[in-house]
Amino acid sequence: MKKEILRFRDVKLVYHTLRGETIAVENLTFSLKEGEFIAVIGPSGCGKTTLLSLAAGLLPPSDGEVLNDGLSFGYMLQKDELFPWRTIEKNIFLPLEIKKINTAENRERVKLLAEKYGLSEFLHSYPSQLSGGMRQRAALIRTLATNPDVLLLDEPFSALDYQTRLNVTEDVSQIIRSERKTALLITHDISEAISLADRVLVLSARPATVRFAHELDFGDVVNPLKRREERNFSAWFERLWRELNG
Amino acid sequence: MKRQGNFSREHALFLKKYKQNTAVVWSFRIGILIVLFGVWELFASLNWVNPFITSSPSRIAKTVYSLYQDGSLFYHIGITLSETLLGFLIAVVGGTAIALALWWSDTLRKILEPYIVVLNALPKIALGPLIIIWFGTGTKAIVFMTVLVGIIVTILHMLSAFIATDGNKMLLLRSMGASKVQILQKLVIPAALPSFIAMLKVNVGMAWIGSIMGEYIVSKAGLGYLIVYGGQVFKLDLVMSATCILCLLAALMYFLVVLLEKTIVKNPNR
Repeated sequence: MKKEILRFRDVKLVYHTLRGETIAVENLTFSLKEGEFIAVIGPSGCGKTTLLSLAAGLLPPSDGEVLNDGLSFGYMLQKDELFPWRTIEKNIFLPLEIKKINTAENRERVKLLAEKYGLSEFLHSYPSQLSGGMRQRAALIRTLATNPDVLLLDEPFSALDYQTRLNVTEDVSQIIRSERKTALLITHDISEAISLADRVLVLSARPATVRFAHELDFGDVVNPLKRREERNFSAWFERLWRELNG
Repeated sequence: MKRQGNFSREHALFLKKYKQNTAVVWSFRIGILIVLFGVWELFASLNWVNPFITSSPSRIAKTVYSLYQDGSLFYHIGITLSETLLGFLIAVVGGTAIALALWWSDTLRKILEPYIVVLNALPKIALGPLIIIWFGTGTKAIVFMTVLVGIIVTILHMLSAFIATDGNKMLLLRSMGASKVQILQKLVIPAALPSFIAMLKVNVGMAWIGSIMGEYIVSKAGLGYLIVYGGQVFKLDLVMSATCILCLLAALMYFLVVLLEKTIVKNPNR
């Protein structure tokens, strides 16, 4: 049995504006085990992104508890958010600079990671010289630079065109699996969730709470494209689709 | 751009067209100047216009030369130039620093907003009498006027650049555990660099407006002084000479900023 490293217990979050208050998240309870890949799907605008900010401790919950003691997080957003004035190399070193661990040893480690995943020829290029897929791959390496315990993925593929999206999903999945990372993926794409995750949480409309949680039964098949060919893929799709819209 | 030994015919044609276009632009630029000065000189020498009122290129040249001979040319240029540069520098550095402070504290920004808006709309020349009384009739008053003209524009320009920083990139840095100083250092300032250069270009103009305006109000020397003095004693040659020198200096300062831009904004792809 793997250790639970991140736990939400009856979490509630209220946003305050001058016009009033909005309950974004309520009674939210789930946990994330070490090495596990969870995908969270939910109707649009249901507070999925809020969930990530809560997990990372960027937002304190209004009520309940988020247990994330001692965890370090790596964020990956919809757009790559690479800094255009920095080369790819400088971009992937950025977290090292922020955490003040910008040592030759760490730089070497991150560089090796970049080279391992096919970025070696782009290290001295600027982001604008790379394709969308390559940029998102660079963004993932930047996320991995500080060796975080948990990856928080906020619809990281939704800004890519379909072809690139399948390829990058493939890449990212392979990198996350082979680096044995724990990941929490937010997405509105049901098939993406099924092709990537070990477990899928279905959220309700706002205020978001976990309506269903499913352990996916793909056995050893972790490759996203292979999963799409599995027999139970479409069954899962139909089921989740019904739950989302039901 | 990579240089290759043999271009395709099409590329050679493209390069040729580009060079031709550049040649046309430059010959017209210089041509217009020559025609303008030529017609001016011709009309004045044929007395079709009264050179006493319009001056003429040759009279301007003579005036500049005689200023040079009695040693006052560089004296006046030096005074105006130093006032302009000093005012420019204080406005740019001070304005940017104030904009940073306003970015740092939302509350401070909200408190000071109406004051900045009013100061921005106020014609600075209205403060002329106050400036004379407070700072006397020397260089200090003129530099103060120059700063006043430039600093508000600088604050507004840089503040809007700082505030326009991408929210998602900030979120990204915060998720890495960045402090506010780090966000400023790694994101806000580098992202605002192009705006900073644009602001410098605007401020070149502002600084000259400020210093000449200052010299109109109070001065014993400088190019603005020569223009006012020349106007009062009807020496239009002197007025035109000083104006031409101003044109040259302003252009020179602008090109220095462009040069600076080329050295600090290294990445053409940003």
